[in-house]
Amino acid sequence: MERTVYPLAAVVGQEQLQQGLLLAAINPAVGGILLRGEKGTAKSTMVRALAALLPEILVVRGCANACSPEPDEDRCPECRRRFPDLETDSRRARLVELPLNATEDRVAGGIDFPRSLRTGQVVFAPGLLAAAHRGLLYVDEVNLLDDHIVDLILDAAASGENRIEREGISYRHPARCILVGTMNPEEGELRPQLLDRFGLCLEIAGSSDPEERVTLMERREAFDRDPAAFLAGYQEESDRLAHRLAQARAFLPRVHVAAHLRGFIGELCRESNVAGHRADLVMEQAARALAAFEGRAEVSVDHIRIVAPMVLLHRRRDAQPPPPPPPPPPDEQPPDEQSDDTPPEENREQQSGQQPEEPAPQEAGNQPPPAAEPPETGDRQEPEGRQDEEENGQQPAPAGREDEFFEIGATFKVKPLSAVKDRVVRRGSGRRSRSRIAQKKGRYVKSALRPSDDLALDATLRAAAPFQRQRAGSADGLAVHLREQDLRTKIREKRIGNLLLFVVDASGSMGARGRMAASKGAVMSLLLDAYQKRDRVAMITFRRQEATVNLPPTTSVDLAGRLLAEMPVGGRTPLSAGLVRTHEQVRNYLIKNPTAQPIVIFITDGKCNVALGEGKPVEESLRLAGALAQDRRIRTIVVDTEEAGLVTFGLARRLAGAMTAQYFKIDDLKAQALVDIVRGQHP
Amino acid sequence: MNTRPIYPFTALVGQDTMKLALMLNVVNPGLSGVLIRGEKGTAKSTAVRALADILPEIPVFRDDPYQLDPNEEFEIYREIRHTVRGEAAGADRPEVVMRKVRVVELPVGATEDRVVGTLDLEHALKKGEKRVEPGILAQAHRNILYVDEVNLLDDHVVDVLLDSAAMGVNTIEREGVSFSHPARFTLVGTMNPEEGDLRPQLLDRFGLCVTIEGIRTTEDRVAIMERRAAFDLDAEAFAARWQAESAALADRLLIARSLYPEVQVERPLLFEIARTCLEVGVDGHRGDIIMLKTAKTLAALDGRTEVATDDIRTAAELVLPHRVRRQPLMEIADNVQALRARASAKAN
Repeated sequence: MERTVYPLAAVVGQEQLQQGLLLAAINPAVGGILLRGEKGTAKSTMVRALAALLPEILVVRGCANACSPEPDEDRCPECRRRFPDLETDSRRARLVELPLNATEDRVAGGIDFPRSLRTGQVVFAPGLLAAAHRGLLYVDEVNLLDDHIVDLILDAAASGENRIEREGISYRHPARCILVGTMNPEEGELRPQLLDRFGLCLEIAGSSDPEERVTLMERREAFDRDPAAFLAGYQEESDRLAHRLAQARAFLPRVHVAAHLRGFIGELCRESNVAGHRADLVMEQAARALAAFEGRAEVSVDHIRIVAPMVLLHRRRDAQPPPPPPPPPPDEQPPDEQSDDTPPEENREQQSGQQPEEPAPQEAGNQPPPAAEPPETGDRQEPEGRQDEEENGQQPAPAGREDEFFEIGATFKVKPLSAVKDRVVRRGSGRRSRSRIAQKKGRYVKSALRPSDDLALDATLRAAAPFQRQRAGSADGLAVHLREQDLRTKIREKRIGNLLLFVVDASGSMGARGRMAASKGAVMSLLLDAYQKRDRVAMITFRRQEATVNLPPTTSVDLAGRLLAEMPVGGRTPLSAGLVRTHEQVRNYLIKNPTAQPIVIFITDGKCNVALGEGKPVEESLRLAGALAQDRRIRTIVVDTEEAGLVTFGLARRLAGAMTAQYFKIDDLKAQALVDIVRGQHP
Repeated sequence: MNTRPIYPFTALVGQDTMKLALMLNVVNPGLSGVLIRGEKGTAKSTAVRALADILPEIPVFRDDPYQLDPNEEFEIYREIRHTVRGEAAGADRPEVVMRKVRVVELPVGATEDRVVGTLDLEHALKKGEKRVEPGILAQAHRNILYVDEVNLLDDHVVDVLLDSAAMGVNTIEREGVSFSHPARFTLVGTMNPEEGDLRPQLLDRFGLCVTIEGIRTTEDRVAIMERRAAFDLDAEAFAARWQAESAALADRLLIARSLYPEVQVERPLLFEIARTCLEVGVDGHRGDIIMLKTAKTLAALDGRTEVATDDIRTAAELVLPHRVRRQPLMEIADNVQALRARASAKAN
């Protein structure tokens, strides 16, 4: 189906984006381009517009792979066989769009099912990678695509060929395409190694100039009213751009890079502390493309300067962690002010590079100003009675102590946490834990004899093979005769979301020294992570004498965030009650969803001092914790909020031990922590 | 199909914003849909069905699962018959019939392959031929697609759905099927915000957004009950009583449709739109574009060919609340004017 696309020449603003796209189109060796940006910034429009400018190419007639007839080019098996007897066609290079619903067999290619049945031979049906050969492959929302599909695409794009070794097919064809991806970082990031595979990367934002916005609206309206007339109006300019692009492509092989400029490139990359050497190579190729576009045979320093930001944006790593920002003066910042002004990833990135002692903002009047130095003494300046309370659970808590409210501390990027993989088949979406899946999604891992409409053709054919002679007489006119009992279906695997049950200790002991703010920050970080992984969340808090379910299991991470912000803190620590409530919630959830794998996250210092029964609170809680861990479907995580100091009780660690839970300090949760430890930057 | 009359659109009490948003989308499908946020039992689906009922009939090929337009999409029709159903390319022009605009519902449990369409497996096994089984998006072409509880839908399905809605084309790339067909529909989504919100990115794809509440005044509530009772008692008589008003509304919508291409906007008003979007902080440019279209449609609906300042103000209330920049975990804005006032106060 043809559709009219908005012309590139008519896009308002976005010069850098236009330039980046042209560079990627001129020189495929640049390795594609990734466009990151907010919604509604003409990302898709521009990519489609670019396709209309791609030059004509010579292809083998009828070849689904768009093989080149030139003698020394790689070709698909069919064209290899027929070479040199090839008829040719000339047509514009194609834009192939990869829709979000694409399955692996359509991306890489698979068996042509009906034809295989008719002919009795395995017929290969080329996929989108074949169609995109020598053209443009456009992946919208690349960060929302299933991981295994992204891997497949990037692998093919990097190696220039697509190899299929599965479902009884062994097939190889060239797949050199210009890869263009778009993503909205709010919805989750790409893994760094995938990011690196994109040659260039651009950050796109809408225009803030009213004049430009008005022009944009006017053009859009004119286009919508009469696309043909609008296109005609820009025809000349479009033709000129297309011509320039074709010329630049032809001129590219003659563009030369002086040796001293290679040194300059290396220097730039080293300064940005990039990993590996891809940045250097890409920068050189991008600079050559730019020079070719300008009709220069020699790359200049300016060319390099222009392309450098696009090359380094997604590869830059800070050599030194930036100094932590000064803690905000207490009481001057309303709670939501801070989060209003900084976009989430910026916030997170800042945090991830920081030293762990970063004091979280807290309310005034609670205690002395935020301690910037790590707490080195056990001598805490706390309100009277608290120390007693922590050590001796049987003493009554001082009555009438006011509830306190704490801001949400700094958030950070969380380390990947997931449930244990098993063999249970589930339904669902999301991106946390790998699981067998009952939908027609995800990666085909093996086949089975079980009813479903997700047919595994290779296995079905194998199952039918021994009976072919016996069934030869049947009159269905097909070369392969299938019966009901031959049918095999696919077992697929993909990531899905989990239930994250947060059990938050809101007792008075958590309020000390801004620990609550830091804890809230940790919970918030986990919530943001849950949002991106599409988990369900639930929250239980315990304080004073009881535990309350603040939020039953829901997909509304927003709600959890709001509750967290409003959570009061104060009173004693009924950990046992919290454990019992948790057990109830999880049990109910598991009755409703027997195959679920809830992850229970305790945020506590473990200093419990209220028991349910007669026994000692600590012992009772450990016993209950042990009971909770009985169900193998439940995974537990303990986030210890106790400060490092001379006097530590290590009760949270004991709690974790009783549940065989994973144990983290807040700082260990940070995704960056591991890297820091390896680099020796972590104390 | 039962022939029982549908509750007349004009007989609905209150909920003017929702009714307006629906009418705007019917006049101009380019507004890319409306999201209705609100409680249960607020006449959401009744309104959608009622509106479909008064729309003019559309021509379709007999038994065409893709609902193609005989006047404009005959070529596509032939292509689909040829490539997808394996019929002769020179097929004759089939019979054209007129029928009502449908409200196609997307059930919450819908799977991705049912939405986009998939390979007809039985046919493939029996005949060794590839045939596409069209999905809900094919059914929805040129109709109204009503998605109840859009926030509870599988995330992936929503992505796919909104993608097609934005492009007007549904592309299937799965299970050995590679195929695309037009899918331009008026998208109406409903959700109860208490059950969790949509992701900002998906919200942005809905052109308009209205938040509705149950009606608070006793008189109106009584009126609702009375009308409902009268309708249940004798639906046909009830519909007949509202016939004149329904016809008038249908005319108004038709006139607005033909008027829309002629609506002009003065440049200062365009600046007003741009400034509004900048001041409340909207990501990207979709807000501007939709706001302009909405203002123009409002003028057309009012029988004017000139956009007035009021149109823009009304458009802002419909277009911006769900687009105001916010992080994934923040609440949706409820009042654009207040936001604007706050923004300008901060600037001063």
